[in-house]
Amino acid sequence: MLQALTESPVFEYVLVPAIKISLLLFAGVLPLITYLVLAERKILGFIQVRLGPNRVGPWGLLQPIADVMKLMVKEDILPERAIKWAFILAPCLVVGPAFVIFAVIPFGPPAAEAGSSFNWFVTDINVGVLFVVAMATIGVYGLLLGGWASNSKFSLLGGLRSAAQMISYEVPQGFAIVGPLILAESMSMVDIVEAQRTAGYWFIFPQFLAFFIYAVAGVAESNRNPFDLPEAESELVAGFHTEYSGMRFALFFLGEYANMIVISAVAVTLFLGGWLRPFPNVEALAFLDFGFLNSPGLVGLLWFSLKIFVFLFVYIWFRGTFPRYRFDQLMDLGWKWLIPLSLFNVFMTGLVKILR
Amino acid sequence: MDYVAAATNNLAYVGAVEKLVGLVVPPRASFIRTILAELQRISSHLLWLATHAIDIGAMTPFFYCFRERELILDLFEEYCGARLTLNCMRPGGLPFDLPVGWEDRCREFVSMFPEKIAEYEGLLTENRIWKKRTVGIGVLSPEQALDYGVTGPMLRASGIGLDLRKATPYEAYPEVEFEVPVYHNGDTYDRYLVRMKEMYEAARIVVQCLDKLPEGPIMAKRPRVLKAQKDSETYHAIEGPKGEIGFYITGDGTPNPDRCHVRPPSFMNLQVLPELCKGHLIADLVAILGTTDIVLGEVDR
Amino acid sequence: MAIVNRFLDKFMLLDLFAGLGITFKNMWKKKVTVQYPEERWEPAHRFRGMFRLDEDRCIKCTLCARDCPIDIVYIDWHQELNPATEKKVKVLDRFDIDVQRCMFCGLCEEACPTDPKSIWLTTKTYELATYERWTNLYVDMDELQEWHTRPDYTDREVL
Repeated sequence: MLQALTESPVFEYVLVPAIKISLLLFAGVLPLITYLVLAERKILGFIQVRLGPNRVGPWGLLQPIADVMKLMVKEDILPERAIKWAFILAPCLVVGPAFVIFAVIPFGPPAAEAGSSFNWFVTDINVGVLFVVAMATIGVYGLLLGGWASNSKFSLLGGLRSAAQMISYEVPQGFAIVGPLILAESMSMVDIVEAQRTAGYWFIFPQFLAFFIYAVAGVAESNRNPFDLPEAESELVAGFHTEYSGMRFALFFLGEYANMIVISAVAVTLFLGGWLRPFPNVEALAFLDFGFLNSPGLVGLLWFSLKIFVFLFVYIWFRGTFPRYRFDQLMDLGWKWLIPLSLFNVFMTGLVKILR
Repeated sequence: MDYVAAATNNLAYVGAVEKLVGLVVPPRASFIRTILAELQRISSHLLWLATHAIDIGAMTPFFYCFRERELILDLFEEYCGARLTLNCMRPGGLPFDLPVGWEDRCREFVSMFPEKIAEYEGLLTENRIWKKRTVGIGVLSPEQALDYGVTGPMLRASGIGLDLRKATPYEAYPEVEFEVPVYHNGDTYDRYLVRMKEMYEAARIVVQCLDKLPEGPIMAKRPRVLKAQKDSETYHAIEGPKGEIGFYITGDGTPNPDRCHVRPPSFMNLQVLPELCKGHLIADLVAILGTTDIVLGEVDR
Repeated sequence: MAIVNRFLDKFMLLDLFAGLGITFKNMWKKKVTVQYPEERWEPAHRFRGMFRLDEDRCIKCTLCARDCPIDIVYIDWHQELNPATEKKVKVLDRFDIDVQRCMFCGLCEEACPTDPKSIWLTTKTYELATYERWTNLYVDMDELQEWHTRPDYTDREVL
């Protein structure tokens, strides 16, 4: 009976991915997000010549637990004239897509390469990139709904601005992604990383412009400094999440950081080689494969995590350094500069590919 | 009153009383007062930069500026016992002399300060985001500035080079060399440049005063209770960090003044706000309010 | 040449990278935080903190009460005949200071004519926060004398 179960298609295509993604989300992503909040506070503190939180646990390591507990026991305020179903649905629409994208991101090599029967990703659909972009776009609904449902002028303006910012930066983001797609000739995330291995270098080298555009658009997508006008306190109270409190606010907050991690993960997969070490085909650097660990899957995961951490550090570094753009300047940047540049990049990439 | 720049506030009042009663301040006291006033100018501009930058979104200059401001406040604390509510000048001179080692610490601070200003400038002056937020915002024409009675860095950024330290010198300013920065566009970016340059110049003035500091008494010979003559009046103004701060005092023969009125720079500078905002977006209002460098204690008194 | 310079300026984002470099350098500098309850910032020698009174040195001239700009020093004294020396001496009945409104300006300390002064503000106490105003911020004569032995407020107020 058990034999029949493990060999049936239901097991392979439904149960195993379900277990994987649950484990991934609860044991991997959620702690990562909460500790990312702590890391941001500590790193911002270090940039600003002060210590971050260091009272709750050594080096503030128990601070995220305290934060989560605080947010959970806070009173859940529902404004009287708010539109109830939208108010409750909005945080879910922000957090849900961000978490779902983790299903297609490869954390390590597929089973065949790793030499084990365990795929280091949840699933590999052959339109992975399209799925990522589609899910990211659904996230915009959550912000709009949140702003509108709160029935407050500031929230509405903040929600509209945030949504306008996000959709106008989705366009250059999409075009920037087309660059590696052309080079890899496939939309599947695993295939793109494999293409980087066969090419012998990460796609950031030929596609430097696309990487830059993707990074800037990514910062704008997740409403972070220098593009955080919709949620900055001195400009617009707190934007679309003014009226939220307690666990709902925590969900928005989590959604923003999950968005950050997702954008970093996609950038790492498309441009920085996913789980590959730098220059994967160069023999001289083979020691970077950590052969002594005897598990290419684990090594792949290690490299992937390292790259994501570097990306997240850069996110936090940007927040500590730059002033904020005004909203119209932000839109200027997106429409007048990034879109033409990304189109130019697609054009050149296509041209080079044809001429080869 | 201006709680951010207390020493210049003190200096204006004490100068007005001395002018009214006719006291002459000994040179050592004069030089030390100049040093305190210039240190206070640096501290006030640091506070301005910190709050202006964080309103526009740059979080780190706030912490860097306050780190330096702490050093200045420590110097003040060693001299007169308080950090913000200084009580450091008396009509006729100073209440106490410099403590042992204060000059060395002051010199140490002023010698390491210019590279810190260079740090803030590296973060902000050439930064394209900062320039986009501040160039062309809140333009004040020289005619408007003169009409409204604007003084201080706001006036000097609009092209009029009026600085009371040069125009009507007081204390030890005739003995030191310094430049007065004047820019011509009258926008927020120019006001930022004027104040940064003033910080460099203030550090220069402090070094020169420390070098030229004479020995001698610190308090003039004066009666314990000062009385002004009946129906006498005087107006004495100095160049504070925010503009011209002046005191108008009239005497009536008793130890208490008949009338004592303050001319606050922030009040006059704040009048210009509606003119500066014309044609800009609401998001610019934050930048404009920051650049007027007001202290509401002075505006309300 | 100017065109190339302008291109580099605009597209190479050198100014932004300079800013990033400055913040990165500052990450490794010594932090200025003072971990408060464990480490305490020691004020300077002339710091104007809480008062102390020395009744023996005080000559009851009430100059401090007169010079106080907000009149928060309350002094009462009366004259007594000291039987031992047959001289009239002044005895202090009451020397209260209302610390709620005190601004620690130090004018009372400056006015005191004795040497060393009988009232002075350099006790370096700046932790005067309490939970109840009237019990702790209206300080009478005995408390003023005992200031250096006053326990930390957490011991006394929060029980």
